[in-house]
Amino acid sequence: MFVSKSMTRKLITTTPETDVLTVGKMMKENQIRHIPVVDEGDILLGMVTDRDVRSAMSSVAHEDFDSKDERKKLSALTVKEIMTRDLVTVSPLHTLQDVLLLFQKHHYGALPVVDDKGVIKGIISIRDLVRAFINVMGIGEPGALLGIVAEDKLGQMKNIVDIITEENISMGSILVARHWEEGKRAVFPYLMTLNKARIKKKLEEAGYELLDPLEWHLDQLPRK
Amino acid sequence: MKRTGFLYDERYLYHDTGSYHPETSERLPAIYKGIEEGGLLEKVVLLKAKRADLKWIETVHSTDYIRRFEEVCLCGNTCLDSTDNQMCTETFDIAFLAVGGILDAARRVMEGELDNVFCAVRPPGHHAEHSQAMGFCYFNNVAICAKYLQIEFGVERVGIIDFDVHHGNATQNTFEHDPTVFYYSIHEHPSFAFPGTGREFEKGVGKGTGFTLNSPVLPGQGDQEYKKLIKKDFIPAFEKFKPQMILVSAGFDGHEDDDMSGIRLTTQWYTWMMEIIMNMAEKFCKGRLISILEGGYCIERLPELARNHIKVLLEEK
Repeated sequence: MFVSKSMTRKLITTTPETDVLTVGKMMKENQIRHIPVVDEGDILLGMVTDRDVRSAMSSVAHEDFDSKDERKKLSALTVKEIMTRDLVTVSPLHTLQDVLLLFQKHHYGALPVVDDKGVIKGIISIRDLVRAFINVMGIGEPGALLGIVAEDKLGQMKNIVDIITEENISMGSILVARHWEEGKRAVFPYLMTLNKARIKKKLEEAGYELLDPLEWHLDQLPRK
Repeated sequence: MKRTGFLYDERYLYHDTGSYHPETSERLPAIYKGIEEGGLLEKVVLLKAKRADLKWIETVHSTDYIRRFEEVCLCGNTCLDSTDNQMCTETFDIAFLAVGGILDAARRVMEGELDNVFCAVRPPGHHAEHSQAMGFCYFNNVAICAKYLQIEFGVERVGIIDFDVHHGNATQNTFEHDPTVFYYSIHEHPSFAFPGTGREFEKGVGKGTGFTLNSPVLPGQGDQEYKKLIKKDFIPAFEKFKPQMILVSAGFDGHEDDDMSGIRLTTQWYTWMMEIIMNMAEKFCKGRLISILEGGYCIERLPELARNHIKVLLEEK
């Protein structure tokens, strides 16, 4: 799960001397919100975001540019004056887990990816992570989710997987909510089948509690 | 009273899905029994299956897929594309008979011989994609029927309502670019149920935007929520679209006694739903309507559900 496998490589970059109007146009045309700023050797110098551009433009001018003065001021303003220089970057060998935790910590929408010489290699955004997680959850393919409560002890997962395997059904993913009731976990297999009634019956026969779908959630934190 | 057709053929029972499969051949005799016991057999026109012309199946499925399906069948393999799709050597031919029976029913309705038809066919169809069998389905019966109506009879606006508890992914995919076919589906929410599509934001693509509409329903819900959504989503959409012909993907698996979903509909809801659809057909389609069986796996409930379905089609109070 390396950043290099999920990042966007086809990059749109700009230079410190480019004017803000041009950068705003680039963002609009390419439907992007983050543009890395680089020198002639592709060394990353900073990052400019749509928010930087918007706050540089006065509120009246930012769509129509009908004011000549405003337009003139903005074409004189360059990227180096509005870009963020103090950047958090990741390397292509950081993992998606690293990036998830960084996004949670810093509230960024995208991070530049640079090699050990500081050369820009790509950009990794929340959108890239969404794509990766749709893939690992298997939800891009037909299937149905099941919610099972299991005791938090060794071998429970094996039993559940065995029951599903005996029914000859493949799985898109298994999510585990580790903190459920005291001593219990919730397990969510994504089954690539329409026919989950039989599996449900078998799991119940094996003593598992099936969760009422309306009680399903993944983000419960440990109870104090 | 309406002139109602009932498509039923014992050859549909030969599609053998093996032991322990919910889409079993017992479903059809249960349906027949319900209609017979209601004294309705004398009131309907019994239609038999016909083999479909390949060209109609090719309006929805790739030739490669059709050939592959045939080969897998002839080789004696018992499943196609997924272990969900259990079959036997006859399945390929029976799938042709299902489509053919429906197209013949559609012709009779278009030529004015019948007002409406209930097609009790197997295998079902609404999950069968362009080049893939899925969710017990091999050929997309309802989609092929819509194509047939467009091409053979020049029907300009076909409205499809799908109340099977699972979203008809393949019907949606077939017509999502097409503004002349409106696809409406009400089903268990895709985060909980197969096939994981049919979310509220799926509304068609390109020129077809606005001609696909989905009402996902959370598990545990029943008549009340379904009625609310039908009034809020389906009725205004079809009133605006004004279909010239209505096709129904009739799945009875949202019934509270059917263990294929978490939806809890009563028998009465299905009657209520069909009455709404019949009113719509009366208003816009000169009463023309074709209902095609999809899911519905509770053998104990199918007789009454089928009986009530036919009663509404006959307009028998």
